[in-house]
Amino acid sequence: MGHSVLVCDDAIFMRTMIADILASAGYDVVGEAETGAQAVEKYKQLKPDLVTMDIVMPDMGGIDAVREICKGDPDAKILMCSAMGQQALVVEAIQAGAKDFVVKPFQPSRVLEAVQRVLG
Amino acid sequence: MDVAKYAALFISESREHLQAMNQLLLAWEREPQATAPVEGLFRAIHSIKGMAATMGFTPLADLAHRGENLLDAVRAGKFAVKTEHFELLFRTVDALEAGVAASAAGKPLPREGDALVKALDAAVRRGGKGGEAGEGGKRGGRKISGKGGKEAVEDQAEPSTPDPRPSATGPLLDIRVVIHPGAMLKGARALLALRKAEAIGEVSRVRPQAGEFEREDFDGKVAFRLRTSAAPAEVDAAIRSAGDVASVGIDLASDEQVVDASALRQIRIDLGRLDALMKLAGELVVARNRLLDLARDAGDPELIQLGERISRLVGAVQGEVLEARLTPVREVFERFPRVARDLARDLGKQVRLELEGGEIELDRAVLDEIADPLVHLVRNAIDHGIELPRDRARAGKPAEGLVRLTALREKNSVAIRISDDGRGIDRSRILGKAKAEGLVDLGATTLTDEQLLRVLSRSGFSTAAVVSDVSGRGVGVDVVMTRIRSLGGSVELESNPGHGTTFVLRVPLTLAIVRSMLVQVGAERYVVPLTYVSETLEFTSLPATSLGQREALMVRDRAVPITHLATLFGTEGAVDGQRRRPVVLLQVGERRGALVVDALLGQQEIVVEPFEAPVGMPGWFGGATILPDGTPALILDAAALV
Repeated sequence: MGHSVLVCDDAIFMRTMIADILASAGYDVVGEAETGAQAVEKYKQLKPDLVTMDIVMPDMGGIDAVREICKGDPDAKILMCSAMGQQALVVEAIQAGAKDFVVKPFQPSRVLEAVQRVLG
Repeated sequence: MDVAKYAALFISESREHLQAMNQLLLAWEREPQATAPVEGLFRAIHSIKGMAATMGFTPLADLAHRGENLLDAVRAGKFAVKTEHFELLFRTVDALEAGVAASAAGKPLPREGDALVKALDAAVRRGGKGGEAGEGGKRGGRKISGKGGKEAVEDQAEPSTPDPRPSATGPLLDIRVVIHPGAMLKGARALLALRKAEAIGEVSRVRPQAGEFEREDFDGKVAFRLRTSAAPAEVDAAIRSAGDVASVGIDLASDEQVVDASALRQIRIDLGRLDALMKLAGELVVARNRLLDLARDAGDPELIQLGERISRLVGAVQGEVLEARLTPVREVFERFPRVARDLARDLGKQVRLELEGGEIELDRAVLDEIADPLVHLVRNAIDHGIELPRDRARAGKPAEGLVRLTALREKNSVAIRISDDGRGIDRSRILGKAKAEGLVDLGATTLTDEQLLRVLSRSGFSTAAVVSDVSGRGVGVDVVMTRIRSLGGSVELESNPGHGTTFVLRVPLTLAIVRSMLVQVGAERYVVPLTYVSETLEFTSLPATSLGQREALMVRDRAVPITHLATLFGTEGAVDGQRRRPVVLLQVGERRGALVVDALLGQQEIVVEPFEAPVGMPGWFGGATILPDGTPALILDAAALV
């Protein structure tokens, strides 16, 4: 069984795509969240090895969710999913505790590289 | 030789030495066996003596000379340092400080000088004779048990250890990291590389400044110093593990000696010069904006290209000037150990002061402005917050109180927290006073942190139960509040009975140039500093609700109170019946507010002009600026509007 992953994005399309990329590489997608608040809740519940986190989500954005999750678990491994032009937000997310990021549109190889880096 | 022209240099350099002496004395007092502090003290006072003598300030040179004698005797091992010596040396530093200013102004030394000279001479004469027994016990009231003599001294060495960062050992390296040119979000990537380096050692002198990483056009080059025991190959691997790293340059940094030599290539610049340069750079920005407008209107591609090139150059000039003005907050923080020590001693309290984030940099002008408010809040924390040791013991707290100062870089601002673990603010008493003065509803049973701050920041409202000598003279939070607000900053307060009080001051990185959003209300344009803008929305797209008496918007499940600027400014009707108005969401610390405006006109870098608010001017304007087309506009004070 591969590492467990929680995928957080408000768009089903993105969640599905990320989950497919990860599953094809042997990762185990154990949960999905479509809001920041859900992400925090599911993180506590599932204790995944890795979280992929969209930045812009309703009901608590990704950065606040990172902050919340890291408050409970400073070692949480969170990978931000950002769009071009969100440099300042990604910087903020890293300051909040995110460990790495990938930029949309996703190339599967880039996503997997980043995941491997984060899981170290 | 006419030495008068060196007076300014003499003052500034002497002050640096005196500042260093304060630090060294504090360190030495904590660890009297240490030899490094006495060496440093000796060198510093020796330099001051030499400079004072050269300037012809004989009494000052003489005082320094007597101090040097005492230090020399201890340094040479003629006798061990004693408690009374620390007191004497602290007083000497104070007297030298006053003396430097007085001498430079052509005035005689303050009276204390003579007495000190005698006391210093006597200390050297008496030397090791007498006075040792029980010294440790008398010291600083910090000790809890009745241990005496040497043991106690060892006890005292403890407080010097809780340095929050593990001090790295190993060689100092110069590191240059280049992020892959094809990588996306190079700034975020560079920050990750920096984080990796921080995990294996102590990082300092990061270039560029933190804010640069957020720029979309960040070039992906970052340089810093790293003190680490890791081998170069490990350093290389660690940094590369951030991903997208094109190259890592690792060099042994020049050692301290050579650093001194490189200091020779630095020159001192009068802050006034930098101010002038800053103002010119600011005007250049305004002229550039105008040029870009004209070039776009003319539609001449060559002109546009030239305009953009000038634009980049002006940006670089502005960046350099800003950089030159940046000063680590450490410069202000360094005053506090001495302030805390003296005050705690006077009040019979035990206080440990922790400083974090001293390396965070701020514009010199901002730093100068916040120094006094910070001193005030630190004194407040010790005077009103931290309890006497016996009261703390009764409350089940350690006898030693903790005051912590933390500087934290946020997006375009710096937050400085001053927190104590003391008794907290007595809300019931404040509530009584607030009711008596009609500041809150008579039926109110409690005060929120926000209300508490509002009441405390009323002019003349003192937090002290007993007006003490230290800070309770009726000048308090109001002064802090006024000063910080005048900088375009904000103040937050959190106080828990029995657990302590925290103030958070937020100030912009620099005062001179502010990235802003331009909005239109009625026929006028107004400026909202971007520091506090969290996002913009459209009014009609959001469900309306209410918050207490106020109209509010639901923004992602949170009710945010609305301010219609047109109503506030009395321009209602100037733009008729337009329903789909834009909303600017403001966030100041934890507080949010929504401004309904008539139109958003885009982002702009603006130069804040000196602004004397006319009497009767509403409080929601924080300054003024000249727009690129030459018309003036008022700057909205976000903190006053949310």
